[in-house]
Amino acid sequence: MTPQHRVAPVSNRWSPSFKPSARAYAVFKWLAIVGAVTFALGLLFTPQRALSSLLLVSVGLLGMGLGAALFIAFQYVCGAHWAVAIRRVPEAMCGILPWAALGILFTLLVGKSLYPWTTDHAVGMKGIILSYPAVLTRTVVFLAIWLLLVRAIVRRSRLQDTAGDPSLSVSNTRLSALFLVVFGLTFWMASFDWVMSLEPEWYSTMYGVYHFAGLFLGALAAMIILAVWLQRVGPLRDVLTPEHLHDMGKMLFAFSTFWMYIWFSEYMLIWYADFPEETGHFVRRQTGGWGPLFVANMVVTWLLPFFILLPKQVKRNPNMLVKVAAMILFGRWLDLYLLIYPASVGHESVTFGAVELGMAVGAPGVFALVFIRSFRSSAPVPVADPLLTASLNHHQ
Amino acid sequence: MASAPAAISGPLILGDKSPGQVTDDVCSALERGPARSWWIAIAISSSMLLLGLITVAYQVLTGIGTWGLNNTVGWAFDITNFVFWIGIGHAGTLISAVLFLFRQKWRTSVNRAAEAMTIFAVICAGIFPLIHMGRPWLAHWMAPYPNTRGPLWINFRSPLVWDFFAISTYFTISLMFWYVGLIPDMATMRDRLTGGWRKKAANFLSLGWNGSFRTWFHYETVYLLLAGLATPLVVSVHTIVSWDFATSVIPGWHTTILPPYFVAGAIFSGMSMVLTLMLIARKTMGLEDYLTKRHVGAMCKLLIATGGMVAIAYATEFVAAMYSNNDYEQFAFINRAKGPLCWSYWIMVSCNVLTPQILWFKWARSNMVVVFVVSILINIGMWFERFVIIVTSLHRDYLPSNWTGYAPTSIEIATLVGSFGLFLTLFLLFCRFVPVIAIAEVKGVLSHGRKSHE
Repeated sequence: MTPQHRVAPVSNRWSPSFKPSARAYAVFKWLAIVGAVTFALGLLFTPQRALSSLLLVSVGLLGMGLGAALFIAFQYVCGAHWAVAIRRVPEAMCGILPWAALGILFTLLVGKSLYPWTTDHAVGMKGIILSYPAVLTRTVVFLAIWLLLVRAIVRRSRLQDTAGDPSLSVSNTRLSALFLVVFGLTFWMASFDWVMSLEPEWYSTMYGVYHFAGLFLGALAAMIILAVWLQRVGPLRDVLTPEHLHDMGKMLFAFSTFWMYIWFSEYMLIWYADFPEETGHFVRRQTGGWGPLFVANMVVTWLLPFFILLPKQVKRNPNMLVKVAAMILFGRWLDLYLLIYPASVGHESVTFGAVELGMAVGAPGVFALVFIRSFRSSAPVPVADPLLTASLNHHQ
Repeated sequence: MASAPAAISGPLILGDKSPGQVTDDVCSALERGPARSWWIAIAISSSMLLLGLITVAYQVLTGIGTWGLNNTVGWAFDITNFVFWIGIGHAGTLISAVLFLFRQKWRTSVNRAAEAMTIFAVICAGIFPLIHMGRPWLAHWMAPYPNTRGPLWINFRSPLVWDFFAISTYFTISLMFWYVGLIPDMATMRDRLTGGWRKKAANFLSLGWNGSFRTWFHYETVYLLLAGLATPLVVSVHTIVSWDFATSVIPGWHTTILPPYFVAGAIFSGMSMVLTLMLIARKTMGLEDYLTKRHVGAMCKLLIATGGMVAIAYATEFVAAMYSNNDYEQFAFINRAKGPLCWSYWIMVSCNVLTPQILWFKWARSNMVVVFVVSILINIGMWFERFVIIVTSLHRDYLPSNWTGYAPTSIEIATLVGSFGLFLTLFLLFCRFVPVIAIAEVKGVLSHGRKSHE
């Protein structure tokens, strides 16, 4: 069988008939409803917690979309072929971006109470950087540019399915490079605006890198889970091989370690220099009952994944890989919880209840629904991508 | 079907070489006598080295009062050179280890030379802290071993000591990795040479290599493991170098982004040095078929990427300093851009941020003169980056009555020239005695005998 022949069965099967089971659909729907209801009730009774949770899930979901977009962009820019066959997974993950952007805008417009600088105005340069109109303008501009660029890339990739034009890959490579530059220039500032400014007196230049590390790691974990699921339920059967999983597993391993590296570098330097205005950030997250969570964050995001993912067999085993990815996703939630809650809700004690739980399970529900709708609206593999054959036959 | 993308981007090695031709091309350059240009080059570089040796001897005998340091600027030229040279080494490990793990086959043409540069650059870097100790004959005190010096013991809490451990580990692993990769080629040289001391040396260094399946299997396993070890090491080295500064409480030094920013900067500067030397080697040694425009283009793209990371770090640091509302932080960064040493800052920005942007254009990446000029400018820019970080952060400290300037003495400049002499001499010797291209690895990526898809 020549390599070209392998494409045919896939392209014949790509009719949009793929539908998740009714049970799976119902689960996602109910999760989303639970999330929406807890948010609505939370907004009535404990607005600070509901808005903090909204910020948490919005930043988390935005990270899923942006991380997926970065993955696509890296592939294009590097001319990599191995992940082309599963590119529709990250493409569909980008579908969450508008919803997450709405969540962030809602938080900034309604949740001014989260941000002390909106009432207790900062002076000097900080006052200029952290003025409400400036933050809001930056937010709108950043979100708009990211959404437009990601949309353009995904649209070209899908257009290629029917147009079959290889030059679309070239224009997507250019757009990807542009997106990477724009992301690099803007994202760290966005992470300052949305999360770091919850504690306006504290600052750390590593903050943007730290958010990037978490964002990309989380998106990789989600991508692995979704790709394995789609392989089991149909659309990626015969497409996703252990070879792809092995590479995804390596990336998960690498970025989990990268996240820990960034975490440690930031912590170590602040601990060592011991400036009171800097250490406060970490003191607030180690006292008042937060200590165990602070440690758990490192254990589930790096320590366990590092040792579990070391052997080659684990990275090629979908069952194991999905479990590790799920653990990392839990770590991702915990990480954002630790960044946001001690600052906006209170560091004297750990606040966790129905609002947090409801919205934490609601977010994956919303994400899954948006993902399925987006995934169903195109072929499950980029059938006309010039690199598809190479990707389908990918070997280490 | 790993060769499928090659059908789109063309072969890696031009001229449809057969494996035998590769061996001939690389080895015959070594077997011929050195060219005139080589003699001229080594005459210049060894003169530079001699100058360095004399000035180092003078500094050691007289003391480091021969430098331009003062009470306020206690670290300047020597530490700048130290960080610069350590950074140069990083590209070698990136190419040989990280790109190996990423299965980037183009690395095979450059990894041997790039990793030799790593080793030479680390040797050059090591000189500066050694001299700065003032009494280099007591350098072994850095090693923690049971001794009779009583309570005098190294300070384990100092990043300078971590540096010593990190760099010596890095040097050891890099040397092993380089040597292990060299073994099959040493066997090739052994088999080609008919006699003489070179054959004896190659015979000894090839460790009885017999090219059997079993030997190759062991070799590839060790190579992969060493690549896996070298990757975290290369990150750790420049991370710890950045901690030399960032653990302190000096505005401009204490900033949390320093570790990844230093690692990216190190790869940026190292890649530009690899390009500078490889473009010369390509021309003078006739390696155009092995080091094609595609290889140069890939390295240029790495320059854009790492240069972009460095630029983002500059921006983040500046905005965060403004955001901090801390007078000292704000002053440190404004002083860089507008103070008496602002020329060094603007050299840094124009060389590191503006210059690489030309590489976005394909015509620039495929014009070797443009790439060569860009690589030289980045080398200069990255040297000045370290100068800016170290000197401009120190020369105007918390107390205005302490403010002072800094200018290097002729001794310091001569030491820098000497370190370049050492680096170039070692590199020139390497070009004469060791296959500059990893013969065995390049044979794995030849297009010869492989049918393309179209």
